[in-house]
Amino acid sequence: MTNTYITNATWALNGQKLDLRMGQSGDEPTTIFLDDIPLEGVTGVTDAGEMKIPEGARVIDATGKLLLPALFDLHAKIEIAGCSKRESIYRTGQAAIQGGVWGMLVMPTPGFCFDNASTLDSFDEAATQRSAAAMIPAGCITEGMQGSQQTPYNTLAARGVSILSDAEHVTDNLLMLHRAMKYAAELDLTFAIRGDVPALTRNTYMHPGTTSYSLGLHGTPACAEEIGIETLIRLAEDAGAKLHIQTVSTAEGVAIIRRAKQRGVKGLTAEVALHHLLYTHENVGDYNTTFKTLPPLREQSDCDALLEGVKDGTIDCIVTDHTPCIPFAKKQDFVSAPQGMVALDTFLPAIYTYLIKPGKLSWAEVVRACCINPAEIATPYDHEEDTPMVAPLLLFAPDTEMTVTEATMNCGTLNTPLLGSTLNGSITLPLC
Amino acid sequence: MNPRKDLITIDALSDEDIHTILESTSAMKDIFTKSVKKVPALKGKSVLTLFYEPSTRTRSSFEVAANRLSADVTTFTVSTSSVVKGESVHDTIDTLMSMKMDYIIVRHKNSGIPAVIARHCKAAVINAGDGAHAHPSQAFLDAFTIKEKYGEVGGKRVVIIGDILHSRVARSTSTILRRLGAEVAYMGPGPLVPQEKHTGIPRFTNWEQVFNWKPDVIYLLRVQNERMDTPFFPRGDYHQAFGVTEERLRRIDDLNLSIMHPGPVNRGVEICDAAMDYRNCLINNQVENGIAARMSILYHLTPQTQNND
Repeated sequence: MTNTYITNATWALNGQKLDLRMGQSGDEPTTIFLDDIPLEGVTGVTDAGEMKIPEGARVIDATGKLLLPALFDLHAKIEIAGCSKRESIYRTGQAAIQGGVWGMLVMPTPGFCFDNASTLDSFDEAATQRSAAAMIPAGCITEGMQGSQQTPYNTLAARGVSILSDAEHVTDNLLMLHRAMKYAAELDLTFAIRGDVPALTRNTYMHPGTTSYSLGLHGTPACAEEIGIETLIRLAEDAGAKLHIQTVSTAEGVAIIRRAKQRGVKGLTAEVALHHLLYTHENVGDYNTTFKTLPPLREQSDCDALLEGVKDGTIDCIVTDHTPCIPFAKKQDFVSAPQGMVALDTFLPAIYTYLIKPGKLSWAEVVRACCINPAEIATPYDHEEDTPMVAPLLLFAPDTEMTVTEATMNCGTLNTPLLGSTLNGSITLPLC
Repeated sequence: MNPRKDLITIDALSDEDIHTILESTSAMKDIFTKSVKKVPALKGKSVLTLFYEPSTRTRSSFEVAANRLSADVTTFTVSTSSVVKGESVHDTIDTLMSMKMDYIIVRHKNSGIPAVIARHCKAAVINAGDGAHAHPSQAFLDAFTIKEKYGEVGGKRVVIIGDILHSRVARSTSTILRRLGAEVAYMGPGPLVPQEKHTGIPRFTNWEQVFNWKPDVIYLLRVQNERMDTPFFPRGDYHQAFGVTEERLRRIDDLNLSIMHPGPVNRGVEICDAAMDYRNCLINNQVENGIAARMSILYHLTPQTQNND
């Protein structure tokens, strides 16, 4: 492998100009820290223009482009109805790379039910062969995500699982969950769960408000999520287990997590899905099933509080909550249609267009919430090489535009409200 | 009036639509007094009633309305169809469209289904009730009944009492009455009446508040036990707390208020026996007006199933 030279790049976090040499031949690669972010396998970070480039070398002119670590998504589903598993893996990997995502935590789904060793083994093999992005499976908390019997945590941990989740399924069997947490705490596993009280949210379809009233749809009370978050924190704290709260959607949910972190709860992290920062329940309009999500889209004041949570570190990560739904499924009536959006294909351009460019988040905040924190929580590890996986660098060209069309969606489904929108930015990944 | 294919909600209609349909309801009702109660307006057109939920009143009302306009009516019986075998709504509609129906009258337990069907086919789709969303033909017959009784709807005060949360009637009837200048309030057990900030409609929780508001019409709703998986209020309280008891009926009589109800009525729950025979009880007028209103609705919709001829 030859070296790749990147000239005249701009470090996204502070605007510093950089020249880089990446690759494996020549000088021993070292690790360089920029804004406390380790850049591994890189040499020759200098002021722009000082690097000597041998003739015939591969050079990327990064003038006008931003350099930053690629993103890690802590919450993606990859199963596409009607697609083979290999196809689902391939398409999702392509989508991720297009969106600037180098790796993801894959939530269990019925077709990828990570509750046993053989499923994990065959998945790892397929993902290594077929996916352009790293795919780290989250092991199931319970067999078949049914909420009753714990999965063999020792076996899963031995296969490299570090996070347990039953995806969107939330159990009301707190005794089982408490015991699971006590057991898994010994293995240093993290529980990734959404706040919910299932009895309060059964047969509900969207946030309660003017829109749910006029559409005649039962509302999902915010208090169900908040009671659920509080309950999970208390259970995990008592059990000594690490807890990651998934897809926080309410302002009070953020406040509960903030208070818990302030009083020093250890091993507590939280995420927000990008769509909960960008849209409200009013986007549902006249039964637009694209905006049917779990938890539901809420009010502007919730979006604002979630964004504030990202800024002050209460919310550790912004995730895609990528959920492929085939067009037929989303064409059904709102009650019958499945929840979820796809977001991997457009992840970094959407974050740039709607959060960074308007000044709502800085590059430093985005890199922390989308690159550093999620990888720290998921601790992706290369078991063949026996080393931790490291985020590659990407180049982002903020001045380019891309219109999202059927042709630009690699993930295999179209359930995104961004279809037809023009986003700023294009991504070069991988660089070498 | 611009040609309109479907009737899904009152919100989707223009003021002109509403006034035109109400005006011709009156003309349709005149036909009932004639010896031949039939006109050839929809001769040769085919009307399908597609009810995924049980219904006696609305379905037969639509069928009588279509018959009086000389349309051919086909009844799709869901319990004996492939729907029970798991067929999706889209596929059912594809099948039915192959039969070249001009009008589809649909009721479904899920809010939003008629809109999905309307987008999917060329027939004129009439929403005969979807979940807790809308029941626009009921709204027209209610508005017409009030207009017939008082000469106009504007300026009247109507309190809708009962299970507002699950009621498509409350949503559609309140919408049309407010569009026509009436004032509407809701009253019922706390968990069954949505918050005013979500509805924009005053919210009462007892009869004293209702009487103080000085309504003209008491509009009662049935408690929809079949939609309640977990109890919403204490069993046995309803009639005393929220129903028209004989004592309240005397007060209603003294104040000369009207009573309406979309049916079916649960005697002894939301209404006492005596109230059914009360001089200002308009429930039977509503049933009769329902046929006229539905004739008017059918007459005013324009299917896109064939070239205009």
